[in-house]
Amino acid sequence: MIESIRFWAIIVLIAFGLFFTFVSAMGVLRLPDVYARAHTASQADTLGAGLALAAVALALGWQHATVYTVLLLFFVFITNPTAAHAIARSAAESGIDPWTKESEEEGETK
Amino acid sequence: MAAERVLVPLSDTVTVRQTVGYAVQSGLERADELEVHLVVALPHEADLIEGQQETEAAKELLSKAANWVREDAGSGPITVETTLLGTDEYLFGPRDFASAFDDYAREHDIELVVLDPEYQPGATAQMLQSIERELDAVGLAYDEAPVERPARHERLVGDGTERFDRLFALFWISYGFYLILGDPTYWFDLVTGAAVAGIVSVSLAHITFTFPLDRIQSPIRTLRFGLYVPYLIWEIVKANLAISIVILRPSLPIDPTMTRLNARVRGGLPLLALANSITLTPGTLVVRGDDQRLIVHTLIPSAREDLFDGSLERAVRFVFHGREAAAIASPRERGDTEILGGDEQ
Amino acid sequence: MIPSGVTVEEVFLGAAALFVVLAIMMFYRAVAGPTTQDRLLAVNVLGTNTVVILALLAAGLDEPWFLDIALIYALLNFLMAVAISKFTVERGGVL
Repeated sequence: MIESIRFWAIIVLIAFGLFFTFVSAMGVLRLPDVYARAHTASQADTLGAGLALAAVALALGWQHATVYTVLLLFFVFITNPTAAHAIARSAAESGIDPWTKESEEEGETK
Repeated sequence: MAAERVLVPLSDTVTVRQTVGYAVQSGLERADELEVHLVVALPHEADLIEGQQETEAAKELLSKAANWVREDAGSGPITVETTLLGTDEYLFGPRDFASAFDDYAREHDIELVVLDPEYQPGATAQMLQSIERELDAVGLAYDEAPVERPARHERLVGDGTERFDRLFALFWISYGFYLILGDPTYWFDLVTGAAVAGIVSVSLAHITFTFPLDRIQSPIRTLRFGLYVPYLIWEIVKANLAISIVILRPSLPIDPTMTRLNARVRGGLPLLALANSITLTPGTLVVRGDDQRLIVHTLIPSAREDLFDGSLERAVRFVFHGREAAAIASPRERGDTEILGGDEQ
Repeated sequence: MIPSGVTVEEVFLGAAALFVVLAIMMFYRAVAGPTTQDRLLAVNVLGTNTVVILALLAAGLDEPWFLDIALIYALLNFLMAVAISKFTVERGGVL
């Protein structure tokens, strides 16, 4: 019984993790500029990775490796926004203008 | 004989008085006539409210320093010039400060900068390169004033409890980390872990914590942070769902805007926590942070509304300043928000 | 009720395969650009994906030491993103 619940919980966590990573991949492909893509990239970092790693922790059970999983998630949560910020700031400093609705109407960007 | 000209950048430190004294004394030793240029560089735009307060404080500091120079020079042949830098431009960190000093030096034909060793360009600049390196980069000669440093002296050598607290905290954090990666029941890992944690804490304690630890407040903050994490995850889940719906719709109804948010959190660590939380939440992305002024890129209107409602800001204030501090008006009510045009950065 | 014939390990390996497919989708952005920051962002997301794939493989193949590699990879990925964004800006000073 417990095994069965654990099995389905793992399935659900992985399914949602895949879903959010899929959305993130769609966003990275579809969105118009680097700033907008950075938003959706953080989805893969937070919920996509978070749910998949939760599934791994659940499968490994209460052992040493589970602590690793939590640690891994902790690092991903701390470092990725910093990296996203560094990328966005470097984009801003290189003079990349953010895409807006108006710029699409003017036909400046693709 | 041409007059010796020196540039003295001032900031509100414990050693600023000694720096001015040294500049005057050493300058008079080298030349008969001395021209001292005292400058304060402002890290804010002067038309903002915090900027106005800073401007007032800077003017006060300048007039005090001018008096010190006259005091120290006695009847010596000395001229004093005071200037505020950064009133018409936007200085961010040591690099901008150094180039502003360089421009000023060129303009006034100054060859030497007398630098206060405690000089802080901007309020939260510990992570940036030092002003010394930036001055080297622009090719401006500087002389560091040999001052007594009461505050740092105590921190590095003294037997202060503050130093012990830092060592203690860092030792257990690094020991814990080592044992998590290793095996806490194996004697070899226990011994090597203690040695490594000892080396790390002795060599890095004074740069790991840029603020004094508090024996009561710091553990409480850590606990409050534990409460904050589930709340943050809940916010992230909500924002993720909203963004997912937008991205999966074929028409892609996004409305990207740059906004400016003046956050009411004090210090580097709370600001880091807030900025990281904002970026972690899909739909909002911190593009620039200059002290309390965050430039945030928002993807959809509902994310922008959430940002302006300031719930994350309140939560961060709760973590670092307690429950009373959390009850403040939202950024929108304070008028600390602004939507920037697409052409501005 | 656990469906017969499917083990947890197989689920993890299947999920890892799907994550690889998603990573290949994101790889398009790393190739297409158009700006350096776009590529950098795509590579950063790919790195996070790699970390997840490694963790899934650790569970699927029952090799917990894969998680050590994932941990190191996560930290290197962060360093890479910060270092490259620092160097793409002419003036440096990104952080």
